[in-house]
Amino acid sequence: MGAGVGASRPWDAIVVGGGHNGLVTAAYLARAGRRTLVLERRDHVGGAAETADLGGVRVPRLADTVGRIRPSVVKDLGLRAHGLKLVAPGVRVFAPQPDGRAITLWSDTARTAAGLRDWSGDDAAAYPEFDRLVRSLGKLLAELAARTPPDIRAPGIADALTGLKLGRTFRGLGKHDARTILRVLPMAVADFVAEAFETDALRAAIAWRGVRHSFLGPWSAGSTAILLGDSAGNDGGAAGQTVFAIGGPGALSDALAAAARAAGAEIRCSAEVVSIAARDNRVTGVVLAGGEEIGAAMVVSGLDPKRTLVGLADPVTVGPTMRWRAANYRTPGVVVKVNLVVDRLPRFTAAGDDDQLVRGRILAAPGIDAIERAFDAAKYGRASDTPVVEATIPSLVDPALVADAPDGTHVVSISAQYAPATLRGGAWDEDGRADAFADRAVGVLDDLAPGLTASIVAREVITPLDLERDYGLTGGHPLHGEQSLDQFFLWRPFFGSARYRLPIDGLYLCGSGAHPGGGITGQPGQNAAREILADLKRRR
Amino acid sequence: MAERYDAVIIGGGHNGLVSAAYLARAGMKTLVLEQRHVLGGAAVTEELFPGFRFSVFSYVVSLLRPVIIRELQLPRHGLDILPLDGTFTPLHEGAGPKPRPGARAADVTGSGDYLWRVNDHGRTIRELRRWSATDADAYEEYGQLMVEMARFIKPILGITPPDLTSLDPRPLLPLGGLLRSFQQLPERQQAVFVQLMTMSAADFLDQWFETDPLKATMSASGIIGTYLGVRSPGTAYVLLHHYMGEIDGAFRAWGIPKGGTGGISNAIGSAARALGAEIRTEAPVERILVHDGRAVGVALAGSGEEIRADVVLSSVDARRTFISLIEPGHLDAEFTEEIRRFKFRGSSGKVNMAVDRLPDFSCLPGAGEHLRGAISFSPSIDGMEQAYDDAKYGRFSAKPYIDMIIPTLVDPTMAPPGKHVISCFVQYAPYKLASELGTWDDQREAFGDAVVNRISEFAPGFKDSILFRNVQTPLDIERTTGLTEGNIFQGELTLEQLFFNRPTPGYARFKTPIRNLWMCGSSTHPGGGIMGANGRIAALEVLRSRGRRPAAA
Repeated sequence: MGAGVGASRPWDAIVVGGGHNGLVTAAYLARAGRRTLVLERRDHVGGAAETADLGGVRVPRLADTVGRIRPSVVKDLGLRAHGLKLVAPGVRVFAPQPDGRAITLWSDTARTAAGLRDWSGDDAAAYPEFDRLVRSLGKLLAELAARTPPDIRAPGIADALTGLKLGRTFRGLGKHDARTILRVLPMAVADFVAEAFETDALRAAIAWRGVRHSFLGPWSAGSTAILLGDSAGNDGGAAGQTVFAIGGPGALSDALAAAARAAGAEIRCSAEVVSIAARDNRVTGVVLAGGEEIGAAMVVSGLDPKRTLVGLADPVTVGPTMRWRAANYRTPGVVVKVNLVVDRLPRFTAAGDDDQLVRGRILAAPGIDAIERAFDAAKYGRASDTPVVEATIPSLVDPALVADAPDGTHVVSISAQYAPATLRGGAWDEDGRADAFADRAVGVLDDLAPGLTASIVAREVITPLDLERDYGLTGGHPLHGEQSLDQFFLWRPFFGSARYRLPIDGLYLCGSGAHPGGGITGQPGQNAAREILADLKRRR
Repeated sequence: MAERYDAVIIGGGHNGLVSAAYLARAGMKTLVLEQRHVLGGAAVTEELFPGFRFSVFSYVVSLLRPVIIRELQLPRHGLDILPLDGTFTPLHEGAGPKPRPGARAADVTGSGDYLWRVNDHGRTIRELRRWSATDADAYEEYGQLMVEMARFIKPILGITPPDLTSLDPRPLLPLGGLLRSFQQLPERQQAVFVQLMTMSAADFLDQWFETDPLKATMSASGIIGTYLGVRSPGTAYVLLHHYMGEIDGAFRAWGIPKGGTGGISNAIGSAARALGAEIRTEAPVERILVHDGRAVGVALAGSGEEIRADVVLSSVDARRTFISLIEPGHLDAEFTEEIRRFKFRGSSGKVNMAVDRLPDFSCLPGAGEHLRGAISFSPSIDGMEQAYDDAKYGRFSAKPYIDMIIPTLVDPTMAPPGKHVISCFVQYAPYKLASELGTWDDQREAFGDAVVNRISEFAPGFKDSILFRNVQTPLDIERTTGLTEGNIFQGELTLEQLFFNRPTPGYARFKTPIRNLWMCGSSTHPGGGIMGANGRIAALEVLRSRGRRPAAA
């Protein structure tokens, strides 16, 4: 089967793309004794989880926190032994407000509640229960995330067991939480937080995670599911996780690559796959940009589903209906990343001299309507006039990042939203649009931390267009596609293809475009590996 | 002491009347109490201006379940639905498929183009081909698919929703049947069904079509009665909800009842009376009498008269039922909180006008066939969305979406000869206005002006034809009909408020936490619109709980 071309013995599996999920899948396959090859187009692995040089210091080029990585992945693959070191500051979110006050969400719930008392006694009282609810509902979603969605067409015993387990977890929520999750999953996150809190600034600080990276505003239905999903399988709770990898997110990718190699996988960088070869509706391998063909019994794509099925797979094999469906997979990227090297620590008015407050995520989203208005622009193909800005200063918790720079140097990692990939006025790389938007994003922070702009010694701006061109993310979508209700669980990426198997025999999807979606969790990669290994066993 | 009834029904809207008819038919001694002098709730016809009769609120029909028409023999009681043909979308100049030479895009009152779909499929396809050949092809495929979707989902309109959190497996049974019929659908249809339940109307339509006015006009059905925009997830479902309309078995057909929507209410009322139900108008209920956790009757406002009954059915919305009509203390705090959270957020208004001549559209002048159907002011998706953006921040739309009907072209009895009545459904008109705007009492005429101005953009001179104007803001709708926050569906049709969540998870089966008190209005599954399904299923549930069979006709 799967006669190899150009290799003495064909690979059991080729993983296309060395992003974190591709590496996770490769490591699991190799651990199970499968001959596994990872092909990465760029000259290093990691995809969007990378640490890069900017002005002589190390910056988290795209993703900056890694706290959603599944503990089971860390454990199974022995990532700590391969160099992964995680640090979680006590503060999760610091949300300075225009009036000089701030909402601060700590990992310690009681501490958060105590701080909220300055804003509203009712909100302070409601916070612990809200945190409990988010954790309780997140637990069910984590259980869901770790499972392969059931096969609805021909349910088997495994599906029945999954259903039973999920059913048990569901009932374990208790009647109140069970009813709550049915009600809130499709809800707008603005409504969800409004049920618990009256302070607009607090509502916004929490609701933000329901729309981050999404072409949604807080009033859009389904954003509650995203918020809860963000807290699933990690210690996020109401505040969300803020965990850094020492050495930046690239250190996580390096640990994954080391684990995969140690298990026997081979990783080739600067090896761009241009097509997935198939014969008689069964994959035979891949073709590289230089024309080289590599045979394999299975091809596992860590790329997004649209790129995989529309860009790489043979259109005749995919067929017109599936191609139409894949082409309609929604990937509207909305985030611009701005990395700054600054010569002194930004001083947020609302933080005073307390450096502790700015060690987590710093959020400039002063209210629900402010986020919604920033989103409104995106609907008409414009970037927000006043973007929502989330920043971290990773050099505070990991000074080694700036070890080679003069004293006082820091890294500010900024995600600015909304910046739709498709602008009506012209492309991102024309007429200084990228810089103009980055100026606005930095300006938002400068208003809260005067002097920030003056302290910049190096800056880079990465637009959705760059994400598409440099990282191969269709539509510049860092999560490989919207996390909305229409691309969820049983229908992520599409109904009928949610079980990591794409409609060509031997072709699998292991990236963020598959259930349970994006963010650095490693969960799609882990789930895909389980399914692939099951298929390999069956075939013997 | 007044006499005792088997069932008393609060509210003489279409659902209350349907429930009454079914209960009476099964031999229950049934009384309907309506607060106003006319029957129908939001489905009423009134002579607002001498000689001019209006369907004041609800104005078209298509969702009324055929099973109800049949079982209650409504045609015998005067129900006569006249078909409306087509949807006409007037456009600004320069908006057509091929801009005319010398057209000035900025001149919005010049002669523009239009998009006109009619029930004659061939004509519609030819019209679409003028805009886009691919859209014309996709339209056929899309239409077929939606009919199949409606066919799949229609049975759901007739069932009692399951309770997923119940430990008793029986309430879960309907789910098994649904799953099986879902499994039998081809995969592509399964996928489309999921999209319908989760996507925005605009995203859903984007998969098929490129013509902006076509998408805008089609997406309009997705936002009616909701506080959502065409780009908001969840609106694709409302699109389907409106696709399920059928008259005489033909899907996707809309009509207007002869004599206005009050004609439906009167027909159902007449059927209920013929089956033995008693109906009292100008009998507003002030309170539901609860004794030992059990509903025992109602007390009327004003007279204080108490009417005893074995069961009480409320066809008014969930908030009015549980917050206004029941004294505090009978319901636990959690349930009360859930009812308070049930979202109403009225978002639409109605402008009724009497005119001395027909509107004359610059894009298609004259009194042609295009005026005989719906006239949709929905030139672009962005325009629809901008209308919503206004509402999000507490303003009525500067350029609202308007669905205009001229009933006199189909039913000339509604106005004196040569004159016409015009019915405009308008969105968005948020119930809660931004504080700087004051109240709806301050903004009523400004809202009416916005509507007239919008129409005049496309039909110059329209303003001068108006003899009389009646503006119904969400506040007016609430005051007159009792619909909380003026929501025409007795609660938004958002995903979290449908099926087993309507009105709250755990009480979506028409039962309430108070024994012998039932819900039968649009706050229950399957939601609003002149469907009658709610009233029918609720009555059947009541009968089942009492061990009665619904009597044969």
